[in-house]
Amino acid sequence: MVIRRLSPEVVNQIAAGEVIERPYSIVKELIENSLDAGGRRLRVEILKGGAELVRIGDDGEGFAPEDLLLAFASHATSKLSLLADLDHIASLGFRGEALASIGSVARCSIKSRQPGSGEGHEIRCEGGVVSEVMPCGCPPGTQIEVRELFFNTPARRRFLKSSGAEKAKIQELLYELSLARLDVDFTFLADGVEVLRLGAGQSLAERFAQCFGRDLAKGLLPVAKSFGDLHIAGLIGEPDLARRDGRQELLYVNGRQASERSAVMSIRQAYREFLMGGRFPIYALQIVLPPSEVDVNVHPRKKEVRFLDSRRVAGSLYETVRSGLQTSGAMSAPLGVQITDDMPRARSGFPALPPSLFATPLADSAPPPVLVRELSAPSFGEGARPFATSVNAKASVLPARPNPFRSTGSRFLQVHDLYVLLQVDDGLLIVDQHALHERVIYERLCREHQARKVTVQHLLLPAVVLLSPAEKAWVLDVKESLASAGMLVDDFGEGSVAVHAVPAVFKNAAPQKLLRALLPMDGESDAALRLEEQVVERFHSMSCRSAVMSGDRLNDEEMAALLTEAATLLHPHNCPHGRPTVLTFTSAELERYFRRRC
Amino acid sequence: MKILCDRTQLQEAFAIVSSVVPSKTTKPILQNVLLTANENGITLFATDLEMAVKVQLEAVKVTKEGKVLLPARECAALLRELSDPTVTLDSTDMRCRIESGGGSFVLLGENPADFPEEAKIKPGRGMKMPAGRLLQMIKETAFAAAREETRYAINGVMMDFGGSCLRMVATDGRRLSISYYNLDGGKGEFKALVPVRALATLARAIPDSSKEELTISVGDKQIEFAFGKAHLLSQQLESRFPDYEGVVPKAADTTVEINRSMLESSLRKAAILCSDDLRMVRFEVQESALRLTAESNSRGRADVSMDITKKGAGGSINFNPDYILEALRVCNLDSVRLDMSDDSMPAKFTLGESFTYIVMPISGT
Repeated sequence: MVIRRLSPEVVNQIAAGEVIERPYSIVKELIENSLDAGGRRLRVEILKGGAELVRIGDDGEGFAPEDLLLAFASHATSKLSLLADLDHIASLGFRGEALASIGSVARCSIKSRQPGSGEGHEIRCEGGVVSEVMPCGCPPGTQIEVRELFFNTPARRRFLKSSGAEKAKIQELLYELSLARLDVDFTFLADGVEVLRLGAGQSLAERFAQCFGRDLAKGLLPVAKSFGDLHIAGLIGEPDLARRDGRQELLYVNGRQASERSAVMSIRQAYREFLMGGRFPIYALQIVLPPSEVDVNVHPRKKEVRFLDSRRVAGSLYETVRSGLQTSGAMSAPLGVQITDDMPRARSGFPALPPSLFATPLADSAPPPVLVRELSAPSFGEGARPFATSVNAKASVLPARPNPFRSTGSRFLQVHDLYVLLQVDDGLLIVDQHALHERVIYERLCREHQARKVTVQHLLLPAVVLLSPAEKAWVLDVKESLASAGMLVDDFGEGSVAVHAVPAVFKNAAPQKLLRALLPMDGESDAALRLEEQVVERFHSMSCRSAVMSGDRLNDEEMAALLTEAATLLHPHNCPHGRPTVLTFTSAELERYFRRRC
Repeated sequence: MKILCDRTQLQEAFAIVSSVVPSKTTKPILQNVLLTANENGITLFATDLEMAVKVQLEAVKVTKEGKVLLPARECAALLRELSDPTVTLDSTDMRCRIESGGGSFVLLGENPADFPEEAKIKPGRGMKMPAGRLLQMIKETAFAAAREETRYAINGVMMDFGGSCLRMVATDGRRLSISYYNLDGGKGEFKALVPVRALATLARAIPDSSKEELTISVGDKQIEFAFGKAHLLSQQLESRFPDYEGVVPKAADTTVEINRSMLESSLRKAAILCSDDLRMVRFEVQESALRLTAESNSRGRADVSMDITKKGAGGSINFNPDYILEALRVCNLDSVRLDMSDDSMPAKFTLGESFTYIVMPISGT
């Protein structure tokens, strides 16, 4: 056997496979480049789903002619030079792989002109063969063309999907990327037709509405909360909007769309009691934290990130979403993302951290902002953007959905021994008596549970649980946290731990089962929170058992009592299993239906 | 097969046997009772493959020997409804004609040859004791066993015989109950973990304070209880039973003597005001009184005191009241003893000369 060193072309083609799968990945990489270059107006054009042509133009800082020569070289980047820089990556790209990879599998050209300079320059690269740099005429910024993708690797070309599918995928990508950059103007043309035009300066809600539809956008609640140097802001969808897949769970970390398991799980947890099983919430949330707290270099296509303190991030997300779902409006006013700390700066000349992002006005128009905070953001070199935060008065107390039972009159009627029809100030409610009563009992149990100290039932015989090394390490790691929630565990040697006590509310539950139920959380999420969830799970079934059933006839006093208590509920819209409790018909809807009004 | 017998006796025997007949099974033949007639009388036999019950009946006139399978539910119901003092059973092939008074009924059974056979225990290990005493021991222990079988908890009672003493022990991991019986000059030893369901079936067949002798025979995988004309055979559980002697506390900071009926009624009152989801009553040992308190945010507060005699430091400890009440219900003493230390150590209740009960307390963190 002979071991040979591969030629650079082959190396690049192999590497390209990881980064460039289809036109979508080209668009993603090139848009990230343009944004990193400070582009404010982005124009994306494709022909035949991008297989024939992908052209991306920006008005960013452009290449100097001498830099153009290095553009297609592998591991050449302007974004990073020292090893230490990897610890605080603030740009979207950083590895210097994208252009080299694209250049090795397509016919590319880059035309670029720096804003101050009189003429532009062009360089071509076809299947990894780089031309010389030639002067050319072009507008300021950079135009990149990628033609005949995979012309030299026909096998991969066959794996491309239909042009319609590729186009849809790219369009979706633009939706997702554009939400992170409200300050950038995006235009998308497919086969010569303008498909999408997103103007700079839109609010998050406006842009979301334009991308995903007005109907959907109506059910979004703005949220924003700060936890020291960690800031979370964005939109969360009402539970009714939940989907059967997780495709509209949009999470951004410092302007980069990225996912992290414990973060996503904690958001789902926050939604849990409002959603039926198998449903996923809709949200677009941005996490801003110092770049040194995030590792973005964990996934070839940068789809995932890792947090230094994932428990803190998960806990903060949970709190933000929970308080956002609060319907009472009594929660503290969200003040938008307040970034006051000094984030580690990227090297000067780098377009650094993401822009104000989700911190642009949360609600449209109406009263002028009561709080506009120009934060002493670090100056990010040229094109620096202040982290402006402004929230208008309307948004400072969440509009959300008010408790519909607050405005009930005294006229109601039970039908089919299951539903209660109820006149309210602005229309008609139809209530599922079982679901509503379940929610009433559930909240009563939760209130009582929260009001008392944690109590533990000690075990006469410690329950030994066999665990994998990773599981065991996690359990011992979160031992203190578990103890604070009422579960005492200890090392029991060789791949096992012993449970010495469990929360006293679990009367006869098997301790092993209880501990195992905490485990599948990937070892990262908050253990005490998971244990609480198990408690709450018990309350679900207790409330279901003691609630009035379908078929129970209620007299007027009973209905009145139920509705009075419903007016005090924190979350009156769903039963603890996520089924809706009430259907609302507003007077306006009724009038429209009976053609009293058009 | 053809027999004539006393209806009441047959009905009682049938009731005992059919208590093991499974109500749901994927093997329908198990829903029958096997009746065998020979020169000694008849035997009724039923099994769910985990345990089996056999009852013999002598007050029978057998005119023709043989075997028949009777559908358990229908036959039991029929025997209950008939009013004539005697009943005639006459079978040919798989059908059995029952005649009593003016009525005649035909029950369709299955082939007796397909019914599972009775397992035989090879004689050797075992012991004898009064049936009423075993009944008492079952009552004192079975309630403390786990409700369902898990890797942690065992739905069975340990019967541990050795050194002239039979110990029956049950635990669900939170409390543990031990009952002793000393034999005069017994010998041999065995350990068998018996399913609670088998003991409960046995308990139903034994009249209270019966002096009649009961024989226990232990095989490798089975255990048999023979009592009068009835036999109950059960599989042993194969779980590992924990080392129960290790958990009995040897010393205590405080020892209290309490009137049993006072404790039971006070505890029942206090428990009313526990919340549904967290059952907890606080036991506070004062100079000459025991004070029980319970509290629920939504229901209110209970505070009951009773006289006691106390040795040691005193202090307080919390229990799930249901655990204590279940044990007091089977206790016959006038006065019970509680040995306790701090609120994370096991507490010991002495509920009879040969009945000890260990409970783990509840504490705040």
